[in-house]
Formats: sequence, structure tokens, C-alpha cells
Amino acid sequence: MCCFDESPHCYLLEIDDFTILLDCGWDELFSVNLVDSLKQNINKIDAVLISYPDLLHLGALPYAVGKLGLNCPIYGTVPVHKMGQMFMYDWYLSRYDSEEFAIFDLDDVDKVFDRMTVLKYNQTIALKGKGYGITITPVPAGHMIGGTIWKIVKDGEEDIVYAVDYNHKKERHLGCCELEKVTRPSLLITDAYNMLYQQPRRSARDESLVVSILATLRSQGNVLLAVDTAGRVLEISNLLDNIWHNKEAGLFAYNIVLMSKVAHNVNEFAKSSIEWMSDRMVKSVDDARNNPFQFRSVKLCHSFEDLKKIPSPKVVLASMPDLECGFARDLFVMWCGQPNNSVIFTQRTSPGTLARYLVDNLGRVLSLQLDVRSRAPLAGKELDEYLQTKKQKASETMEYEESSEDEDEISGPVGHDIMVMEEPRRQGKKPHFPVFPFHEEKVKVDEYGEVVKHEDFLIVDGVEEAEKDISDAQEEPEEDMEIEEIPTKCMSQSKILKLNCNILYIDFEGRSDGPSIERLVFQVKPRRLIIVRGSQEACEKLSAGCQAENIWMPQKGDHINATIERHIYQLLLKDSILKDLMFKKCRESEVAWVTGQVVYDTGSTDIEKSDVAEAKKNQPHLDLVDYNLIPSHKTAFLNDIKLSDFKQILGKNGIPSEFIGGTLRCCGGNISLQRLETGKVSIEGTLSEDYFKVRDLLYEQYAII
Amino acid sequence: MSRRKEAIPAEESDQLTIKPLGAGQEVGRSCILLEFKGKKILLDMGIHPGLTGMDALPYIDTIEASEIDLLLISHFHLDHSGALPWFFAKTSFKGRCFMTHATKAVYRWLLSDYIKVSNISTEQNLYTEADLEASMLKIETLDFHEEKDVGGIRFRAYHAGHVLGAAMFMIEIAGVKILYTGDFSRQEDRHLCAAEIPAVRPDVLITESTYGTQIHEKREDRESRFTGMVHDIVTKGGRCLIPVFALGRAQELLLILDEYWGQHSELHDIPIYYASSLAKKCMSVYQTYVNAMNSRIQKQIAISNPFVFKHVSNLKGIDHFDDVGPCVIMASPGMMQSGLSRELFESWCTDPKNGVIIAGYCVEGTLAKHIQSEPDEIATMSGQRLPLKMRVANISFSAHTDYQQTSEFIRALQPRHVILVHGEANEMSRLKAALIREYETMPEVEITVYNPRNTTSVELTFRGEKAAKVMGSLAVHKPVEGEVLSGVLVKRNFNYHLLAPSDLATYTDIQVSQITQKLAVHYSGSVSTLHFLLLQLAGHVEKMDEVKSSFRVFDVIDLTVDKNMITVEWKGSPVNDMFADAVLVTILRAETLNEPSVKIDDYGAKFEWDKFKDSLVEMLRDMFGEAAVPKSVTKDDFYVTVDDKKAIIDFYNLKVTCEEDLTLQKILQTAVSRLYNSLAPISAIQM
Repeated sequence: MCCFDESPHCYLLEIDDFTILLDCGWDELFSVNLVDSLKQNINKIDAVLISYPDLLHLGALPYAVGKLGLNCPIYGTVPVHKMGQMFMYDWYLSRYDSEEFAIFDLDDVDKVFDRMTVLKYNQTIALKGKGYGITITPVPAGHMIGGTIWKIVKDGEEDIVYAVDYNHKKERHLGCCELEKVTRPSLLITDAYNMLYQQPRRSARDESLVVSILATLRSQGNVLLAVDTAGRVLEISNLLDNIWHNKEAGLFAYNIVLMSKVAHNVNEFAKSSIEWMSDRMVKSVDDARNNPFQFRSVKLCHSFEDLKKIPSPKVVLASMPDLECGFARDLFVMWCGQPNNSVIFTQRTSPGTLARYLVDNLGRVLSLQLDVRSRAPLAGKELDEYLQTKKQKASETMEYEESSEDEDEISGPVGHDIMVMEEPRRQGKKPHFPVFPFHEEKVKVDEYGEVVKHEDFLIVDGVEEAEKDISDAQEEPEEDMEIEEIPTKCMSQSKILKLNCNILYIDFEGRSDGPSIERLVFQVKPRRLIIVRGSQEACEKLSAGCQAENIWMPQKGDHINATIERHIYQLLLKDSILKDLMFKKCRESEVAWVTGQVVYDTGSTDIEKSDVAEAKKNQPHLDLVDYNLIPSHKTAFLNDIKLSDFKQILGKNGIPSEFIGGTLRCCGGNISLQRLETGKVSIEGTLSEDYFKVRDLLYEQYAII
Repeated sequence: MSRRKEAIPAEESDQLTIKPLGAGQEVGRSCILLEFKGKKILLDMGIHPGLTGMDALPYIDTIEASEIDLLLISHFHLDHSGALPWFFAKTSFKGRCFMTHATKAVYRWLLSDYIKVSNISTEQNLYTEADLEASMLKIETLDFHEEKDVGGIRFRAYHAGHVLGAAMFMIEIAGVKILYTGDFSRQEDRHLCAAEIPAVRPDVLITESTYGTQIHEKREDRESRFTGMVHDIVTKGGRCLIPVFALGRAQELLLILDEYWGQHSELHDIPIYYASSLAKKCMSVYQTYVNAMNSRIQKQIAISNPFVFKHVSNLKGIDHFDDVGPCVIMASPGMMQSGLSRELFESWCTDPKNGVIIAGYCVEGTLAKHIQSEPDEIATMSGQRLPLKMRVANISFSAHTDYQQTSEFIRALQPRHVILVHGEANEMSRLKAALIREYETMPEVEITVYNPRNTTSVELTFRGEKAAKVMGSLAVHKPVEGEVLSGVLVKRNFNYHLLAPSDLATYTDIQVSQITQKLAVHYSGSVSTLHFLLLQLAGHVEKMDEVKSSFRVFDVIDLTVDKNMITVEWKGSPVNDMFADAVLVTILRAETLNEPSVKIDDYGAKFEWDKFKDSLVEMLRDMFGEAAVPKSVTKDDFYVTVDDKKAIIDFYNLKVTCEEDLTLQKILQTAVSRLYNSLAPISAIQM
């Protein structure tokens, strides 16, 4: 477990001998040290729980499953499954566009999502085998579609809640987290990432976004919004689509584009996942039959070809948010020189990424040395060389290719739950042609069987080629794009960019901020707390505000033993004892004082099958006890009242009261009530009828047993 | 015994009552009442399609709507959801209502359509559009497999097939599981998945029995029979009418026809009309809630929407229809009670070239049911009689379970009780007989089948074992036989926890509180008078502080005398409050008295065993008669004889033994202890 930094979420939770991996995130830069410890523990892991579909929470999964051989069930909600796959496709394709990328491939991504067990919110699943007795339940968390707070319960009593990056606020497209509904978990694992941060009001934030977009567009500039693939982008695109539609905003004349490798699919999934969104979205479908993700103004783009057709000035929402790869980086390079353009960041990415560097140094960075990477087709000499090697190898691998082709055909129609998975895979095979998913490529594959073969080659050969060529980088004209069969290579060129454009950071992260985190954790009242991910200061602030019995702030790699001795056993209650109990209501429960005698009897009343009865024989029963043996007990007042609530009750009974310096005074100051500390109330007064009246009312607030 | 039964509050009772308020030995107006442990649940709230106005409602007047905790709607068909706006608007119902997302979305438009149709035929209107809008705000949604908990009733929805969004509900109250199937089908079709078999075994299964013991023909057969018949009619120049319910099966038939037309280019000139604005409205619902459909559709929808039909055109109404040649028209309502399907039928029924295909289930008393008996004549809406010459075929596409599916379903679930609803009396009793016959040969499987009529309840008893979890300091060591446990029993959602008061805050959200009380009383008398009277009262007074003259009485009440004021301080509890009251009375009395003449240290209440003996004898004689206690009893040999049974009372230990009659022993024991407690001074009784 790690803390005190901003490394992605990835924690091991061991319950007895069952090991659960909580999230499996990776940073945008593929830091090796992050997966090292994962590598060591990979064989121990019995289950993986994923909270959100983004890189921060599942980025390392393809690597873990594909390359480290992680082989256990993975659990996530339906949208986390769908959108998570889109995140991974987009990440891979964006990376592949600019460099030789071999950390994982699309097959690994597919493997991950084939393995995933999808759940609905509040669907409790009992784990099997070694994990017998453990149940897991996803609870809505906000932040991103399908976002999950995990509730892990052992033996029906020991509940562990894993809640990170949740959002307690309702948003346009998402409901809020339901962390409040969790009370007194025995262990809460949460983050302190936003602890020291206070959010601007939503309306102010939206307004500043609109204002800066409008200003840029009016000065004929373009706006680049660096967004993620399939998470927060839904919120931003939905917001902008609505603003565009609003005639008063005056944006209708300009163009707005959503650009990523998987924009179409993300949009389709969003359209069919309305039941996972806020009540407002659902209502829009139910009442107005108007799907909020059927965009009226936002256009979808999958390549620069598409983008070119859309006249400037325009607003482009492009991935990836870190500017390390993807369309966002390319657009940044293209646009950052002109002073009338704007680049808006909507979330903070990992330290070390370009986007984070710019956000952290807003206004201070004037120029930047940057590797401009691209993938270009081979030409001239290189192409000849390539073709020769290809011819040589063609005959050798013929058989292999045929079989792989067969596989492809089979897996096409039936291999996946979700049909769209197929498309991005094909995109991978023609990486130099950023594909527009409407494009029916199947036909081409069928017609030109050999095309597939060439390209399969390409991935293998491309690596060698690129290594050779990486030094003598050169720029290739784009028109070669037309020829599909041409092999490609990666190029990198270091450039110095002048940053003349406006750079802004507007928070669209959709996470709870410091004060809210503090309030929520206080409300939840965890018995024990583990704080992960956040600066030291932030972690300490959170721990100071919480009254848990134990609080841990583990360093990376630390092993915490959060075991507590659990005393628990079951006792069957006899009807005879239940009959006489007088239950009193207290909050949502009913309470009664009970005294009984433990009896191990072989209750002959069992009419069930004999083996069941056998098992029950040894269960202790609680039976009536002799009157004399009943020990007297101290009266217990159950419940905890707030004086402000009591004030209203007094008011209802015609007794006016007021607060003076923390004490509640009533009856002309003759009686005063004070709440000394949690669970302690004092009532003071002079001997009078009113005193007893007030006392009776006070007693009514408690279950007295 | 019966009296004792009454004494048990409803929530502790082991009796589960299931009462159909509709759909008991009939089809339509589904509404079933479940009652267990004081919780009341209604399953569905439908109207009867064959009846109008208030008659169409289920027998809601036999229950108290305000007592209903939960209402679950299985799917959007009128006979399952049609009375819902009425129930919300016109009764005192204040519980919660759940249905799936897709059901809610379709419900909105379906009922809106129903209201319009009712308006046209000037029926007695049960509710208005405004009532429907209002009901939308009160309906909550749940997703399939999502688990909800409403005041201890836990339930989750499973896919039921049948129509989009149709759900089966598994309801669990205090460990007893009840599965309500609603309408279901175990057969996967073009867009819906088959009903799931829940992984948990229900104790009670409430299942539909629409098709009783009938067995459906195979999906391929009926599809080819359907397309064949349509093909035959239109190629002979006839018009083909398919009366359908606007939503549900209609979508399935459209998928079939659209596909068939796509495969047969010779039919391309013949139009398929779909005369329902409602279905058009709901298309967006079908496009949105793809997650509730089968995987085939989920895959397909990403490429092209299968619900965008190539060969089907929408028909706004009969005015827009140009009846010139062969065509296929699907029109609602499905049972031709009135509306477009009736109009078309009446204008086409005299031509033998034409045909009508009844594709859904028909309720008794409707025209669609009537023409299946092949009458020579039919009566039109206007009362005119027309000869029936057109071809009539009944090809059931209704996605209800048949005997084969029901039987498999029951075998997989093995419920102990099966309750049949939603089926005509005959079909139902046939199904009941068939099920009983099936399990006759298997004595090891205990299955009881019930087919209650409306408002007749089935009463089942579940002896639920009540287990409490003992936790915290009470559970430090394992329980030993005979050990006495004492603690707070916390009951929440039918779960019991036994805890020591000090552990309450750790394991529950309940806090143990303390109330300290402080009363100021005016006192001008002397301290010694007060001291004397307090001694008289309590037998022992502890002097806390000589100088300040403060006392502690009964170990819990502190008094501080200060000038003309006494402050009395104690921690609130019923016993302490009583002590405090006594002390207060003493203070008030002391003020009116003069200095006592007695030396105060000698005085203190003492307990006299002789007096106690006399009182005990008197009490026992009062209880059991003069003869019960012999005249010669002494303190060492004290016994009572009641009904020739002798009970010995160990005087000084206050212990009663009577081997012959334990009840007597208990009664005596209680009496003796209570008498002692009331006579002995407080200082002698350990609190």
C-alpha cells in the first residue's frame, strides 16, 4: 500500500488468506517501479476489484494479465467494463501512433475485459473457494460513470469499505456517491488526494469555461480541451453540448468536436448506459424521449482527416489529458504557437507528464523543448528493404498466418460480448490509418486476405525498422496515408515550441474536495482508517479530523496489519424469551434488555433434514432464566440527541427555548440543558413542574432499557 | 392457545400470507398481497383488460393501502401496471414503489396512450394524465440484480424475458425467500433473453400459469408458420391483419417480418404498416435500454439499430391509410376490444382473401378470443352483425411460459410451495394437477401447489429460527451451558445482535447516553433536621464534606446545602429518579419541622425477620387460602401446600423449592422475592 505521493491506486488487501487487489492503476508514463511490487505479488492475488475505468485505476491490468499472467477474476461494474476497454484502446492506439509500443497489446486488453465479471450497483456477490464467506458489493461513487465504492464484507460482520476518488456532489450526468449510507465500517480505506483543496462553485467553474472558450473563439482562435477518453469527458461534452444549444450563449455558430480514437464507441455506450447516470438524465429519456448523449452540436472525429473538414475556429475535446500522446498532444504542438488559441486542462495528471508540468507552472512556461513523435509510412530505400525482408519471410510464416486468419474470422462475430471490441482491434492492425469506426473494414479483410498478412508482419518488423531509423528522423508528407499497404515507422524529433497560447486549468475532475472529504469521513465514523494517496500534509489533516480507533498512513510497500480480534458467536433465541421482550425503537433499530441462560439443547422442534439438525445440535440457545438469577443491571439510555433537535421538540410542546452560550435555556431561564460531550447531557433547574415536564420530554428521546 | 397467538405481534408471527387481489384464477389485473412479519408487500397493480372503470381494478378495497410498505411492478403491461396511477392518486398508499428502468420508461407512454384511448371510448376514467405524471415522481427504479432493502425487506430483480424490462422479484424477509415471476418466458427470442434461474432457492414460488399445461410449438415452427401464412395471404391479394399489443411482442413480430421481407425481394412492393404512434414513441426506450436485452441485440446495436426497420412504415391512423391492395397491418389493441384493429377487422372480415393472425394471448370475453371458436357471424361495435369469412389463425407469439418451461423452472428451483396466479381457473387447476402428478412419484421432494381465488389467502408457516450474534465483550469466551447472559438485544431488519451496553457504540450507530440532573431547592431549615430525616428515609447517609455539609444518600444522590439553597445532583435513571423524588419530598418536609429531639446516630431502619414472616404468611394465605400455610410454621421450617403439592421455602436465602410443580415454584419464588424487596430497607437490598 502506498501513501504520501500521487502514484496510482493499487493496493493489496488480505483477508485471512484471501488476497484482493484493490484497483490496478498505472501512471501515464509506465513507471516501472509501480509494477515491480505487483510483479512480486502477482501469484498471491485471488481477485481484483476495479473502481473506475480510467488509467489511474485499471491502467496496469493489460500488462498484469497479458504479461505477468495475472489469472484471477476481475470485478467491475458494467460501465467500468465498457468504458475501461475504451480507455485502454485509446491509450494503446494513441501510444502506437507515435512510438513503438510493446508494453501490452490489444489482445492483452481484450483478455482483461473478457475476464471481467460485470456487476450492477448494490449487487452482492459471494466469493467462492478460498474467499468463502466474503461478499463484495459495488456502491455508487460518482466521479466517473460506473464509479464504485467497494464494500467487502467478511462473515456478514467485518465490513471493509474501499472508497477513493468519490464525488459527493451530484453532477450533470452522474449521481452522487452513496458513502453516507455506509455507517461505522470496521475499516475504511480512502484517499487524501484532494484534502487540501477546495473547489470553486460549479456555476463559477462552468462560467469560467464558457467565458474563456467564447473569448478564444471570438478572436478566431481554436480551443483545445485535453480530456480523458471515456470518463470525465462525458460530463464536459454533455455540458458543452447543452451550452451550445442554448442560443443566449452565442456559441451556436462555432464548431465543437470530440476527438479520440474511440469517440464513436464511447458515445454509443454513453447513450445506452443512461440507467447508470443521474436521475436527470434518466428523466430526460423517460419524459422527453431525448437521449442526452444524442449530441446536437458536438461532432465526433477520429482522425485529422475528419478534423480538417471542420472549419475553424473550433473547440476540440481531445484525448489524452496528459499530453503525453494522442490527438491532444498533436493538437497542442500544432496550436500552442498562436496567441489567439487556448489550451484548457480539465484534470491533473500524474507528476512528470507534460500536462501536469504546464498546470503546475501556469503562466511561467514560455517555451518548451518537446519530442514531436509521429508514425509515418516507409518510403524509398527503406521501403525496398522492407519489401525484401518481407518476401523472404513470407513463405516461412504462411502456415502460421493462415491459422491466425482463421482465428480472426471466428472471433469476429461470436468471440465477444460486446461487438465493438472488434473494431479497435482492426484499427491496431492498420495503425497508420486512424480509423473511423463507421468504416466497414471487414470487407477489405475478406477481399484482400494478403493485406492482413502484410500488416501482421509489420508489427514484428516495424520494431526493427524503427530502431534503425529512430536517429535520422525526417518529416514525411501526409499524402502517403492514402496507400494502405505501406508499412510505417516511428519518428521522433526534438523541437522547441514557443508557448504563445492561453493555458488554463479548470477543474472538471469531479472529486470531493477537502472540506467534504473531512465531513464524509466524520459521518461514516469508521472504526479504523487507512489513508492512501495524498501528500503527507493532506493525510495528516484527514487523520486529525477523524475519530477512528486506529489510523494508518502506509508508505509504499508498507504492510499494515489491521487485524483485530473478533469475538463473535451465534446464539439461537428461543421463542419463550423473545415473547416477553419489550422492544423499544431507537434510530432504525429496536432494542431490548435481555437476560437468558445458555442452553445447549438438541431442539427436537427441528423438522428439517437430519444432517442440518445435526449441525445445529451444537448451537447454543438462549432460554429463559430463573427470576432470581437475573442480575440487576444499570439502566441504559440509548440514543444521542442534539440540543438543536430537542429545541424543536420543546417548541412543538409549547415550551419556548433559546441557546445562550451553548446551553439551551427554557422556562424563563429556570431550566437549562447542556451537552457536555458525546452522549452526555445535563439538565439543571429549580424544583418546579416545568422541570419534570422538560425532563419527561428529554427521556422520550431515548430508549431506556 | 389461540389467545397466546393473538398476543404475538404481527412482526414476530411466523405466518406468511399470500392473497391475490387480482389474477387469482383469472388473467388480468395482477395484484398479489404478501404479508409476513408485519411487512406488507403488493406485487403488481394491474387492471383487467376485459372490464372497464372501477370494475377493472383489483380488490384493493379489501386491504388498507396505507399499511403497504412496498409495491413492486414486474413489467409495463396494463394488466400489471395499469392501476398504478390510480393507486398513487386515489388511495392512502405511502410506501415505496419499484420497477426497472425500462419498465418505467415504457410505462409512462403506455399509460398515457391508455388514458387517451379511454377518453375516446368515454369510459369511466380511473385517472388523468396529471395522475400519471405524479406517479412518475414516486416510482423508483432498480437495475437487474441490484439488491435493495426497504425496512428489512430485501429484494432483487432477475430477467424474466417476456417483454423489455420484465422482471422477476426475489423477496427476502427475515430469511424467508419468495420468488414472484410476473409474466416470464424461458425461451430466448430475437431481442430478449430467457428468464434466469436465480441461484438461490426460494421457499415460495408465485408463478404465472397463463398457458397451464399447454406446450408451445417450437420457435422455428411458429415463425415459419407465421411468415408462411402472411406470405400466402398477401400473395393471393389479401390483406393481413395482425392485432397486437402496441409494445412487447409487437417489436418481436416486426423484427421477424422485417427480416423476412429482407430475404424475399418479391414482397418488397407489399407494404407493412405499423399503426401505432405509441410504438414509435417508445423506440427511443428500446434504443436506450439495450442492457436489458440479449447479447445478440447488444452486439448488433453498435453497427446498426435493428429497431430501425427497412420495410416497415408507420401509419398514423386510419385516415392516413389508403386501402387499395394487399398489405400487412399490425394494429393495436391486441384483443380487438376497440380501436384501430377492431375497425380494420370489421371492414375486412367479409372477404375470404383477407386474414387475421391472432399472435398474442387473449382474455375471455374479447373479440379476439371469440373468433377463435370460428363463429359464422360477429357483432360490430355499432351492433350490426357481419358474416365472418376471412381466414383466422392463431399463432401464439406470446412470451409466456408453457408447461415444459414451468416444470423445468420448478424442478431447478425446488420451492416448497408453489402458488399459481395469472391463469384462467381451468388452466390453473390443470396445471396444479399436472404438477402434483409429476412429484407424486418423488416422495422426497415436498412441493405443495396452491391456486387461490381472488381475496382468498394462502397461509404458510415458517418457523424461522431467530439467531442473535453475540459480539464484543460478551463474546470473549465461548458460551458455557447454564451461563447467564445479559445485555442489549438490538434488532434491525430482522437481524439480532446481543451486545454489552459498552460495546453498542462500537458495533452499531446507537450511543449510550447519560443524563445528569441538578435541581436547586430553596431550604431554610437546619442541616441536622435534614440529616435526621434523610437517615429515616434511607437508613444510611454518607457525609461527603463536613464543612460544606454535603451528603450522599442511596449512594447516588448528592446533596449540597449552601445558604438557603440545596442542590440535588444525580444521574438520571428510573430508580435514581425515584430516590431523588423521595429525597426532594424529605427536603420539603424538613423545612416545616423543628429540630429533632432524638439522637440521630442511633436511628436507622432495621429489618426484622419476624415481621417479614408474618407478612409472608398473610400474603400466602391471601394467595392460596387459609389452609395453604399451616399454623405452626417457623422460620426454619416454612412450607406451603397448594393442591396437595408441598413447596418448601428456605427463609433466609429466600429460595423456594417444589419438585412436584415447577410453575408453583416459580410463582412462589416471585412472590417471596417481591415481598422481601418491598419490605426490606433499601440499604439491605443490593442494587
